[in-house]
Amino acid sequence: MDETLLFGIGGVIFAVLILFLLLRALWRVAEPNEALIISGLGARGLRDTADSLTFKIVTGKGVLVLPGFQTARRLSLDTRVADLQVSCVTSQGIPVHVRGVVIYKVGDDYASIANSARRFLDQQDRMDDKTHSLFAGHLRSIVGSLTIEDMLHNREALTAQVRHSSADEMSKLGLIVDSLQIQEIEDTTGYITNLGKPHAAAIAASARIAEAQRDQEATEAEQVANAKKAAAWRDAQIKSASYQAEIDRAKAESEQSGPLAMATSRQLVVVQETKAVELEADLAEQKLQAQVRKPADAKAYQTRTLADADRDAQIARAEAQAREIELRAAADATRVKAAATAQAEATRATGEAEAIAAKARGLAAAEATRAQGLAEAEARKAQGLAEAEAISARSAALAENPDAVVAQQLAEKWPEIVEAASKAFGNVDHMVVFNGADGVSDLLTKALSMGGTGLGLARQLMDAMKSSPENVTPSITPSENGIPAKFTA
Amino acid sequence: MIGKRGRVTGRVGPGLVGEVMISVRGGAEAFYAYPADESSVIEIGQQILVVDFEEPRTVYVQRWRTM
Repeated sequence: MDETLLFGIGGVIFAVLILFLLLRALWRVAEPNEALIISGLGARGLRDTADSLTFKIVTGKGVLVLPGFQTARRLSLDTRVADLQVSCVTSQGIPVHVRGVVIYKVGDDYASIANSARRFLDQQDRMDDKTHSLFAGHLRSIVGSLTIEDMLHNREALTAQVRHSSADEMSKLGLIVDSLQIQEIEDTTGYITNLGKPHAAAIAASARIAEAQRDQEATEAEQVANAKKAAAWRDAQIKSASYQAEIDRAKAESEQSGPLAMATSRQLVVVQETKAVELEADLAEQKLQAQVRKPADAKAYQTRTLADADRDAQIARAEAQAREIELRAAADATRVKAAATAQAEATRATGEAEAIAAKARGLAAAEATRAQGLAEAEARKAQGLAEAEAISARSAALAENPDAVVAQQLAEKWPEIVEAASKAFGNVDHMVVFNGADGVSDLLTKALSMGGTGLGLARQLMDAMKSSPENVTPSITPSENGIPAKFTA
Repeated sequence: MIGKRGRVTGRVGPGLVGEVMISVRGGAEAFYAYPADESSVIEIGQQILVVDFEEPRTVYVQRWRTM
């Protein structure tokens, strides 16, 4: 049972495998880039290919090919490339050597495939050579109808010329020109080189101008930037320096704050110490005031008071003494004055009495004198003569012994002289004598001694007269009323 | 093929072999194009309408204006 099933399964698998291999051998598939050209038994095209060669074109699908009766050939629809090198002449008659490339393929439609298959199916490898020959002629005619400028620039004209010259032939061959490119144009005359020179020169000039301008601008910008950099550097340096200065200042301040605080505190200490010293000084002063000055003041006050008292006492004593002296002098004066007054009264009374008496005596005497006059005149005349003789005799005597004569004369007149001296005090109203009683007696003694000195004086006079005896006639005549005699010379 | 629309890639005009791109067979292919009325000129980039087709790759076109 199991074996039968196993064989059955194995047989089915084998049969499927055989079928797969069979199909694998007979079934052909056309890939997208190829066309299967099937010819042989029963190969009929779908369209109007029946009246010519009968073959079947298959694209994009598979088909069963009966081996032995049919044959399947593959025609590649890939793009092909053919290099072209042509020496030709342009429309301007300039000889050029053109190198180009043409990109072509077999057309995708059945007509193109059929045309192509009929021509190239066995010569696919040599298709490039054939197309090269074909396109060389076409390219020659294309270049001959174009200028170099068109070839270089006008792509539209180039493609139009390609289509115009090759369209019909391409259709015959069943090929499509995808692109024809001119890769290189060798120009033996230098036309192309010269063509570009004005532009190149202009471009070079503008490039140099632009380079110079850009260089100038760049240099200016660089210089401006350098100046700005320098300014910025300067600003930065300045700011940095100012910040550094601030830092230094702050640092210095912070460094000095310690000593400053120390100095400030020391200053406060000094202030306090000064106050303390001042207070101590005040204390010492107060002590001195209390201990020294007050006692000294007291002592001075005592001394001054004592001195004042002593002085006052002395002054009082002196004043008392002066008062006493003054009073005594006043008393003395009073007494002297009284005495003098009394004496003056007495003298005046005496004088008056004597004046009256003298008046009366004078009157009497006048009568007597007048009576006597005549007699006396006679007598005197006689007497004069006698005296003249006496004088001459006395002069002789005087010449011999003057002192004796004078002494005799003075002795005769001595009472009158003393009286005259005492009369000198009679005219004194008020006399102060400081020596008291002794003074008065002394005064009187001096007055009396004048008589003595009068003797010496007379002697001197006599000596003087002896030198001129004729001019001098000394005479002492007593006055009538007792007034001291006048001594004439 | 006839009735398809396409775009001119090579100038179409009398005496010229123009080129048009037409969508066909799932891709776009270039066809040789001639003016249908023998006198008109169709510049590059304009739309065309295929009025006739000739094997293998020739179409006759006229200008197509979208309404």
